[in-house]
Amino acid sequence: MGTTLANLLPGERGKVTKITARGTLRRRLMDMGVITGETALVERVAPLGDPMKITVKNYCLSLRKSEAEHIAVERLRS
Amino acid sequence: MVINVVDATNLERNLYFTFQLLELGVPVVVALNMYDEARAKGFTFNLAVVERALGARVVPTVSTRGEGMDALMEAVMEEAARPERRAPHPQFYGADIESAAARIEQFIAVARPELAERYPLRWLALKILEGDGLVMAETRITGDEPPLRDALSHLMSAHQGDLASLMADARYALSAGLVREALARPAVSRMELTQRIDNIVLSRALGIPIFFAAMWLMFKLTFDVSAPFIDWIDQVAAGPLTRWTQWGMGAAGAPDWLVSLMADGVIGGVGFVLVFVPVIAAMMFFITLLEGSGYMARAAFVMDRAMHSMGLHGKSFIPMLIGFGCNVPAIYATRTLENTRDRVLTALLTPLMSCSARLPVYVLFIGVFFQESAGTVLWFIYLLGILLAVVMGALLKNTLFRGEQPLFIMELPPYRLPTLRNLTIHTWEKVKHFVVKAGTVIFAASIVVWFLLNLPWGVGSVKESYLGRAGQFIAPVTAPLGFGSWEAGSALITGLIAKEVIVGTLGEIYALSGEGAAKPAGPPDFAGDIKQIGVSFAAAARDAADNVFSTFGVAAISAQEEEGMEGLKPLIRAGFTPLSALAFMAFVLIYMPCLVTAAAFKSEFGSFKWFAVAAGYELTLAWLVAFAVYQGGTLLGYGG
Repeated sequence: MGTTLANLLPGERGKVTKITARGTLRRRLMDMGVITGETALVERVAPLGDPMKITVKNYCLSLRKSEAEHIAVERLRS
Repeated sequence: MVINVVDATNLERNLYFTFQLLELGVPVVVALNMYDEARAKGFTFNLAVVERALGARVVPTVSTRGEGMDALMEAVMEEAARPERRAPHPQFYGADIESAAARIEQFIAVARPELAERYPLRWLALKILEGDGLVMAETRITGDEPPLRDALSHLMSAHQGDLASLMADARYALSAGLVREALARPAVSRMELTQRIDNIVLSRALGIPIFFAAMWLMFKLTFDVSAPFIDWIDQVAAGPLTRWTQWGMGAAGAPDWLVSLMADGVIGGVGFVLVFVPVIAAMMFFITLLEGSGYMARAAFVMDRAMHSMGLHGKSFIPMLIGFGCNVPAIYATRTLENTRDRVLTALLTPLMSCSARLPVYVLFIGVFFQESAGTVLWFIYLLGILLAVVMGALLKNTLFRGEQPLFIMELPPYRLPTLRNLTIHTWEKVKHFVVKAGTVIFAASIVVWFLLNLPWGVGSVKESYLGRAGQFIAPVTAPLGFGSWEAGSALITGLIAKEVIVGTLGEIYALSGEGAAKPAGPPDFAGDIKQIGVSFAAAARDAADNVFSTFGVAAISAQEEEGMEGLKPLIRAGFTPLSALAFMAFVLIYMPCLVTAAAFKSEFGSFKWFAVAAGYELTLAWLVAFAVYQGGTLLGYGG
């Protein structure tokens, strides 16, 4: 099922299908290892509801939901 | 030669960057850092495989303990001495990319030979291939040139025009392949310590309370530890040092004005720079502790939502909090923000946090006019600053700082125990930086102020000095705010040096007749003075230690009352009304960051430009707010 990373709940995994951002956001996401085919695990959401903490490539990354909206994912069964 | 420091615990993502470096064609030596931590996690590396794949020397290091540094330096020297050219590009990104890159290289060499001279050709070709915005703008290559279009058309259609992804994939593919080949990891990854700590520290229920507890502790420790040392430096400079100078110069037959210049201007200036050293050292120590432990990124994570609404970054909270103690270390603390826009915006708003130097002013005026509701009025002043910061943040975000918001994406590093070495290095660097860079500016300015106070020659009263004249000059400007006297004007001018000077200047002006600089009759007691300096330093150290352990070690408001303030009160009562006092306090809160803050701006941002912006908006804002308070209050019938 296609959605964006921002819509995943803590504990859910998604397989990155496309980075829809442009410019610096796109570059930065890729540099940090968020690339097509990668699996991202949403670990938690900050106490105030934003940003979120995810795991990719065996390390932890934090990003705002507005940034995660640009990551199209396929929700994986856990 | 590039020394590429690589995090051994996170090899795949770090090698991605190494491959980008290799594209430049420069010799690279890789320091495989945090090697101990990686080994502790059960990682085993086949270094020979990594070296062969990268075509670069790889040296394991543990930088916190200085391990591997000699081997690293040796490798660097060997690489630098190697005469033969290294293999041009050990990384192979696949036939499609390589053939397209080769054609782009060809095009550049023919059509734009000047670029080929200025940049590494392969790097340039790969950047153009992935459509790097900065490189394209800089080289004025659009990618629409017919030979380039030809070179890229095949890739473009095969990858839906998304060549940036293609390149990222290619680099990660190499990096992932290398990691598979050269790194053995234990199969089961247990629930790590960092995860367990985060489950508490970032949890919905405890995340924010823990954050505030951490901030409270940092704030308390920073200012409690430094305060006794600040007093000590202050006493030494104003006491023995001044006495010795006066006596020495007097004995040498120096004229009075020169003695005063040395004692008040020079020694006063040096002392003024040095009193900031303890607080900057303490602040840097705790900031480094937060950074080094890994909590800083978590603090940003917890607070980002709230700070982001003001156009700021989660980490902006920390400099602003420190601003309540002193704006100077706060400006330095903006260092923790990586993005320049975030840093500048935070620094611009920080002076609205009412620093402790402004407190004596409030205490004096509240003591005179608002004895019964002291707490309420004081809260109102602090709250006013915060409120204005929120408003100005929103305003600046939509004007001067319009445009793309900086990204938040950042790594949440594992928790680590910071080393003492790391803490001392950072603290020492910051203190040195402050003394050298900001110190010179502050020192020069305090000499200028001495002249302002003592010129023209033989001036008898403050009113006739240049300072007093300047005060008279600005009096009409502040008249609509309720305090149009030259005394208030002069005090505001000296307040630019440091806000706590305002009270002193008012005292000097209003009660001028009282004190005459009594010159010591005989030679000072050097031995006694030196002993006293040592004794008081020991006392300061003891106080600092006591403060750490006492819960409420901060000076209570009453302790902020300075000597001689009692005599000042009737004069203040005569010169101000409750309403104009309120307007004056609001003005002092906002009107301008002090000189030392200006020096901090200069040393952190390279010029006085951003300080000028801060000073400009604050002066305007201060005038408007004080005007609103005074005129609004008068309209409502609170005047007189």
